[in-house]
Amino acid sequence: MNKINYGDLLRRFSVPLMFVIICAVCAPISGLSPSYLCNEIVTRMGRNAFLILSLLIPIMAGMGLNFSMTLGAMAGEIGLILVSDWQIVGIPGMILAMIVSVPISALLGLFCGKVLNMAKGREMITSYIISFFINGIYQLIVLYLMGPVIPIQHSNIKLPRGYGIRNTVSLLSMRQKLDNLIPLNIGGVKIPVATFIIIFLLCLVIIWFRKTKLGQDMRAVGQDMGVARDSGIDVERTRIISMVLSTVFAGIGMIIYLQNMGNIATYSSHSQIGMFCIAALLVGGASVEKASIGNVFLGIILFHTMFIVAPKAGTVITGDSMIGEYFRVFVSYAVITVALIMYETNKRKNKSKAGEQLALAQEEANE
Amino acid sequence: MNNSKKKTLIYRIAAFLVIMAIAAVMFVIGRGHTVYFDNKSSDLVAEVPYKIEVKVDGKKVASLKKNERGMVDVMGQKLTMELVVTEEKGGDTVQMKVTQPLPYNMDGIILNIPAMLKGASQDQYVSEFISVPSESDAAEEVVVTDDTAGLMDFGEESEASQG
Amino acid sequence: MTEKTNTITLGDRVKDIAKDFGLPRLIITGFLVLLLVVSPFVGADLPTQISNIINRFSWNGILVLAMVPMVHSGCGLNFGLPLGIISGLLGATLSIELGFTGAFSFLMAILLATPFALVFGCIYGWLLNKIKGGEMMIATYVGFSSVSLMCMMWLLLPYHSPNMVWGMAGKGLRTTISLEGYYTQALAKILQINIGNLSIPTGSILFFALLAFGMWAFLHTKTGTAMTAVGSNPEFARSSGVNVDKIRLISVVMSTWLAAIGILVYEQGFGFIQLYMAPFYMALPAVSAILIGGASVNKASVMNVIIGTILFQGIVTMTPTVMNNMIHLDMSEVIRIIVSNGMILYALTRKTEETK
Repeated sequence: MNKINYGDLLRRFSVPLMFVIICAVCAPISGLSPSYLCNEIVTRMGRNAFLILSLLIPIMAGMGLNFSMTLGAMAGEIGLILVSDWQIVGIPGMILAMIVSVPISALLGLFCGKVLNMAKGREMITSYIISFFINGIYQLIVLYLMGPVIPIQHSNIKLPRGYGIRNTVSLLSMRQKLDNLIPLNIGGVKIPVATFIIIFLLCLVIIWFRKTKLGQDMRAVGQDMGVARDSGIDVERTRIISMVLSTVFAGIGMIIYLQNMGNIATYSSHSQIGMFCIAALLVGGASVEKASIGNVFLGIILFHTMFIVAPKAGTVITGDSMIGEYFRVFVSYAVITVALIMYETNKRKNKSKAGEQLALAQEEANE
Repeated sequence: MNNSKKKTLIYRIAAFLVIMAIAAVMFVIGRGHTVYFDNKSSDLVAEVPYKIEVKVDGKKVASLKKNERGMVDVMGQKLTMELVVTEEKGGDTVQMKVTQPLPYNMDGIILNIPAMLKGASQDQYVSEFISVPSESDAAEEVVVTDDTAGLMDFGEESEASQG
Repeated sequence: MTEKTNTITLGDRVKDIAKDFGLPRLIITGFLVLLLVVSPFVGADLPTQISNIINRFSWNGILVLAMVPMVHSGCGLNFGLPLGIISGLLGATLSIELGFTGAFSFLMAILLATPFALVFGCIYGWLLNKIKGGEMMIATYVGFSSVSLMCMMWLLLPYHSPNMVWGMAGKGLRTTISLEGYYTQALAKILQINIGNLSIPTGSILFFALLAFGMWAFLHTKTGTAMTAVGSNPEFARSSGVNVDKIRLISVVMSTWLAAIGILVYEQGFGFIQLYMAPFYMALPAVSAILIGGASVNKASVMNVIIGTILFQGIVTMTPTVMNNMIHLDMSEVIRIIVSNGMILYALTRKTEETK
């Protein structure tokens, strides 16, 4: 019995363990100083944690990894573009961008939830394609409608041809305003206190949410849709709400992310954000059906350490900086692939186990 | 049942109104301006001080000799600044605190400080700064909407990835 | 009396066809027809347009055809197409590295790509047998992982041909490799027909026809029908003595091999080999093309491939010219993204036969 437990434990933590090893090997080779690493990881923690936390709710509702969190990211970007055209700066600008983004995210989340309800059993691939589809709509809005339909005044945002947004929109007036709101410096490591407070608040909200009626319903739906429906839960509605919440949080998370970056890459900032957030969460030991807040933070530390050290280590070993860059992209995808494979094999194992039990029960009944 | 429905409706409307109110407040307190300070002569003032120092929030943002211009990015509807005026070279300095309301519809605002100190009316010393798009701004740029564009860069602050 | 019943049946039939065809397909077909009708009026040369469509069809047809076997065996849409494409790229680069030139290098590329496609296909198929039910998502990520792994490999593998490696470093393959002097237009030039502005790459089309016919014939062999049976009802197929896993494996290997051949044909038309990130999203246009052609997640025919490729490539090639000429606004890229992904989304949300 004990032995199996060890095996299970090892399997559950195999991905984080692998990352600890990669980081432990690459970090000394890369030659980066520990204080630089600490600084980078703290910065990235503040930058990404909110986004990754937004993935937890759909996992709770059994909808798997929310690849369509990019929808929220796009809504956040639209909010920021508008706010920077209105010349609202600093923290008020961020708050206004969030207020603008929330209805857009909610609407997109609603759409996403409805579509996913039509594609039960293949939520992940569908949410993945949704993110591409909405990216088309986003480009339509940002590239053609902004200017003639949605007024954009400033020439540093608008393309010279008179419609559409430039490749990059500067957020200099907002850059790290939240991070530096409450300045704190411990041993040369700059800590974005205000950002961490917001992240902490979201953690509290998620913990609280799990205990509410809706949260309980969501978990019931995640465990077994049929049973949940029999016990009187409106399954479809619960699933839609989980998508809406996730998308709204992702939108706010994207605004926090971009205020740290200091500029928006209008057409590419959002495109890979879902992939990297999901990879980070999985590296933290989460699986497709189970993820906790602890996974988020462990994931950020491990994944981003790898992200920082891999290119440098790759350069040192092979003399080519691109190898390390490709390596970390490969690792991100490989981690997601492995997690998905583990999820599907587990699902099949459980299913066949349930089938065996059923057959056994039937045999007994026949006797 | 009906009562509770009414209650939620009221809550929702209240929440909506509160959010709208917050948004309105953000519009007011978050408006950013670029303020330009001029130490130049005008129709009103023929002789300008030797040097004017401008401090905002205790930080020196401009030190203007004759015919010079300084600038600062500020947020909100009012700008409170401290001016240190030196009338003549080596002469005494006069310190004063001035609060200047900023017109909402102007992104860039030019303040002619000598005229302001003279006590001229608002529209005589406040004018709009109209930025001329620079060459690089006016040049047509190719929009890159490549699907694979963002694959390689994630959270890299303008770190050149091309080796 | 007879007339009346006739009209009713005709109306019903039209309705039936429309229902079978699906609303999005109808819209897309209508859109393409509209583009074709409008194009002469806005100053686009129709023969050029048509030969563009035919050309693009000949480049992409086989990549779309690669979808068919896996859909038939119930593995769903092959989002893992990049894996097959990589086999093709390996074949192409090896053929050049080994010094083959001209049209012969195309043949060698196919021969060299085949073992890779078989090996990769076997591993991929074995994996997909382990995770029945979740094929599409895992296929997507298998594709991504393999492309990003190969990104490293293109840099590290010991290629030396001066036509392929970076000139400065003398190692590491370039992102795009010209096929001038190798197999550019190798198939297209065979029996090429040129009438004014209209040019038809007969060889490429014949090659596609050959493979499409092979596919059609295969689906009517014993193994082929078994494949269809596995796809439509695996339980029934198993009870009637079909080795389900083996049939699925065959379908995956076929799909991977066709993808490898498909990318080689694409390259001979396009004239360049594109490495690194280029194969990343190549599955999506192929997937949406076959869906536009009338396929669903678990039903596809060779006819769907032909219709779908023509429609998809028609829209991709026609919209930029027509739109540019009409309103001086090139929205074709956005339209392509919305149409192709909207189509995939539509197919994914349809109820499949089993769940009905």
